[in-house]
Amino acid sequence: MANAGTTDLSHENRRLEELGPALALKAQVVGGGALALAVIAGLILGFTGSAGFEAGLSQFFRSYILAIGYVSSIALGALIFVLLQHLTRAGWSVTVRRLAEVVCAAIPWLGILALPVLIPVWLGMEDVYPWTDIDAWDDQTGLLVQKAGYLNPTFFTIRMVLYFAIWSWLARYFYVRSVEQDNTGAELLTTEMQRLSAPGTLLFAITATFFAFDLLMSLTPHWFSTIFGVYFFAGGMVGFFSVLTLMMVYVQRNGRLASAINTEHYHDVGKFLFAFVVFWAYIAFSQYMLIWYANIPEETYWYQARQSTGWWIFVSLLLLFGHFVIPFLALISRFPKRHPKLLVFGALWMLVAHFVDLYYIVAPDANGWLQTGGAGPLHSGLLHLVTDIPAVIGIAGIYLSFVVKFAANHSLVPLRDPRLNEALAFHNF
Amino acid sequence: MSQTVAAPSAPARTRSDSETRLAGMLVSFEEPGPLMGAAARMKEAGYTRWDVHTPYPIHGLDTAMGVRPTILPWIVFVAGLTGALSGIFLQYWTNATDARNFTFLPTNLQGYDYLISGKPFYSFPANIPVIFELTVLFSALAAVFGMLALNGLPTFHRSLFRSRAFQRVTDDHFFVSVDASDPIFDESTTGGLLAELGGSDVMRVEEPVVQPGMPRWLMAAGVIFACVTLIPLVVIAKARVSKSTEPRIHIWQDMDNQPRYKGQMQNAAFADERAMRPTVVGTVARGDLDALGTDRHRLEGLVDDQWATVFPESLRVTSAFMERGRRQFGIFCAPCHGLDGRGNGAVPARNPDGGREGWAGWVQPTSLHDQSVRDRAVGHLFNSITNGIRTMPPYRDQIEPDDRWAIVAYIRALQKASQADWNEVPAAARQELERRSGKRGND
Repeated sequence: MANAGTTDLSHENRRLEELGPALALKAQVVGGGALALAVIAGLILGFTGSAGFEAGLSQFFRSYILAIGYVSSIALGALIFVLLQHLTRAGWSVTVRRLAEVVCAAIPWLGILALPVLIPVWLGMEDVYPWTDIDAWDDQTGLLVQKAGYLNPTFFTIRMVLYFAIWSWLARYFYVRSVEQDNTGAELLTTEMQRLSAPGTLLFAITATFFAFDLLMSLTPHWFSTIFGVYFFAGGMVGFFSVLTLMMVYVQRNGRLASAINTEHYHDVGKFLFAFVVFWAYIAFSQYMLIWYANIPEETYWYQARQSTGWWIFVSLLLLFGHFVIPFLALISRFPKRHPKLLVFGALWMLVAHFVDLYYIVAPDANGWLQTGGAGPLHSGLLHLVTDIPAVIGIAGIYLSFVVKFAANHSLVPLRDPRLNEALAFHNF
Repeated sequence: MSQTVAAPSAPARTRSDSETRLAGMLVSFEEPGPLMGAAARMKEAGYTRWDVHTPYPIHGLDTAMGVRPTILPWIVFVAGLTGALSGIFLQYWTNATDARNFTFLPTNLQGYDYLISGKPFYSFPANIPVIFELTVLFSALAAVFGMLALNGLPTFHRSLFRSRAFQRVTDDHFFVSVDASDPIFDESTTGGLLAELGGSDVMRVEEPVVQPGMPRWLMAAGVIFACVTLIPLVVIAKARVSKSTEPRIHIWQDMDNQPRYKGQMQNAAFADERAMRPTVVGTVARGDLDALGTDRHRLEGLVDDQWATVFPESLRVTSAFMERGRRQFGIFCAPCHGLDGRGNGAVPARNPDGGREGWAGWVQPTSLHDQSVRDRAVGHLFNSITNGIRTMPPYRDQIEPDDRWAIVAYIRALQKASQADWNEVPAAARQELERRSGKRGND
C-alpha cells in the first residue's frame, strides 16, 4: 500500500520535557488543597451537624472511599486496556498504549493513597462499614454474623493489600518492559508481555470484582449483587477512555505526538467510549431488572433507598439520561468520534457522569433506610457532595502528579514496538 | 495496445446469437501506484458508471473516486428505532390495553390486560429486554439486507466477467472499467482516456446482443418446487379447521410413549387383570399412617373432644425441638406475624393499603401476645395452624404435624419471653444482654 508505514517519528516531539514538572506541581497543589478542603468540610459537618462528631467523620471517610473508587476504577481501566492490547496483539493502539501504561504504572501510589480507607475499618465506624461493628445494628436477618468470616477488619486488610500488590506487579511488569523496549528494541519483550496478558486478565477480573465487592458493595453489607464487579468495571472503562481522550488531546495541544496520533486513533478511542457507555447501561440495567423483578426485600432495599426521596430520584434519572441516553445518542454517529473537540466534550461529560455513578453507589444512606424505614443518621444528598467533590478532585489530582512523573522521563509512544508502523498506518473503514 | 476480447465461444445456434456488441472498456494495471491519479482523472472527466477493481482494499481510493459515504447507518438507525417502537407497542398492546375497548377487532388481535402477581399492567423495566432485542433484530436485518440492496445484490452476472484478463483482479492485477451505458461513453474518447491513465492494456468487453435467458427446465423446476412447498401449509391449514378421530401425527416422540403401565390400564399378569395393585390387607403404605387419623391428639389437637392442654406423648419438647419450631416459624409465620409474633411482619408492613389504590388492604395479623392467644390451649393453637382462622389460610398441607407442634412450642416460648421476669433469665444470657444494652445506651 502506498501510504503504509511512511509516517516518520524521528522529528516528532515525543517527550513531556518541561511540561512535566509544571503539570505535576499544579496537580499536587490542586489535589492537596482539595483534599484538605474535604477534611475541613468533614470536620465542620462533624462539629455543627446534629448527628454528632462521628457522623461528620463518617461522611468524610465515605467520600474518601468514593474518591478511591473513582480513581482506582480509571487506573484499573488503564491496566486492563494495556492487558487487552497485548492479549489481542492489537496494532492500532500502539501509539496510545504508553499513555495507558503510565496511568496504571502509578497504581502502587494509589495503594498508599488508599491506606486511610483502613481507618474506619479498624476504628469500627459502623456508619461507614456496618460490618465493622455488628452489635451496633439491629440485625434481624443475621446476615452480618453470617458474613463475618469474610467481612472482618483483618481479612479486609489482607485482601486490600493483595489487590494492590497484584495490580502494582502487573502494571509495573508492562511499564518496565515497554519502556525498556524503547532502548533495546528487543521483540522478546513483546512476547513476554503477550505471554502474561492472558493470566493477567484472569487475575485482573478476579481482583477487580472482589475489590468492588469489598470497597463499595460492603458499604451496604446486607445487600449483594453478583454483577456488581462488572458494573464497577464498566463504569471504570468509561472513565478510562474519557481520560485517555483528554490525555491525547492534551499532549497534542502541547505539540507532542503531533503525527503519531491521528483522527483514526481518536475514532477508535471514541468507539470504545461509546461501546462502554452502552455496556455500562446494559450491566446497570441487568442488575436493576433482576432485583426489580424478583422483588425480594433484602435486595430491593438498596434501590428503594435510592428512590425514596426527591433528590435521589433526580440522581437516578440523571444517571439514566446523563450516563446513557444522552451520550448514547451523542456518540452513536461517526462524526463526534473523528472530531477531537467534540470528543473532549463527551469525555468531560462522561467523567462527571462516572462521578455521579459512584456518588449514587456510595452516598445514599441505605443502611439507615433499612434500619428505620426512612432516613438514617447520615447526611445523604446535596450535603454529601460537600465532601465528595473535593475528595475526588484531591485524590485525582495527587494521583495525576504521580502519573506525570512516570510519563516525564520517557517517550510518550512505544518507540520501537514491533507494531508501531501498523498503528501509524492504521485506517478505519 | 488494444485488443478485443470476444465472448466465450458457445456453440452458435442461430446467426443472431453470435452477434456481439460493446459492453464496456477496461484498462489493467500491474501496480496500485497510478490508481489514485487514474481515479481522480475519471472523476474529473465526469463519468458516472465506472469503477476501480483491486484484489484488496486500498485506503483512500473511495475518496479519490468521489464515492459518497453510504447511507446505510441511517437505514440501520431508522430500523432500530422502528424495532424499539414495535417492542413498546407490542407489549403495551398485549398487556396493558383493555380488551373490552376493542371488541370490533377479532379476538386474537385484542389486547389482554392480565394481572400478574399484583404488578402493574404496564411497567417499563419488564419491557426493556424485549425492546432491546427487537431493536437489535431490526437493526441487524436492516444492516444485512440494506447492504445487499445498496450494493445491488444479488447480481448473478456482469459482462465484465466475460473478459479473461479481468479474472486476474482477484489475484495480482488492478483495473479501471467503464460501462458502455455511461451517458458520456464513447469508444474512441473513452479508449483514449483509459490509455492515458498509466495502465498497460486497454481492452474492449463484448457481450452477445441476444442474452441467453434462463433455461426452460430450470424455470419449470422452480415453479414445481414453489408449489410443493405450499403442500405442508395447506395440510396444516386443513388440520386447523377439521376434526379427526385419530390422534394427530406425532413427529417428535421424545419419551411420550413408553412400554409401561399407567393408571386404569390392563395387565394380564394378574388374576384380576388390574395394572393398579391394591394394598395388601392389613398394611399401611409409608407416610400414610397419619391419613388414617387414629392419633387425634397429635393430628387434631383433641383429647376427648376437648382442646389438648399438653403436647402429644410422642413428642418431647427439647431445645432441638424448639429450634425446629423457630425455623418453621421464620419460614411460614414470620412473613405476616413478624419475627417476634407481634403481627408486624414484612407482608403487612409493605402493603398497608394492599399495594393498590382502592383496596381495603391487609387485615393486620393477630399479635400472638394477645391475652386471647395466651389463654388458648396448645391443641387450639395447633388447630389454628392446621385449619386456619379468619383470613389466615390452613397450613395443613405445607407443614408436617410434628412441625406444627414445634411451632406451637416456639409460640409459647415467645409469649413467655415477652413477659418474663429478669430473674428468670439464665445468668450467662443475662451478661450478654447487659453488654448489648449498655453499648446501645452509649451510642
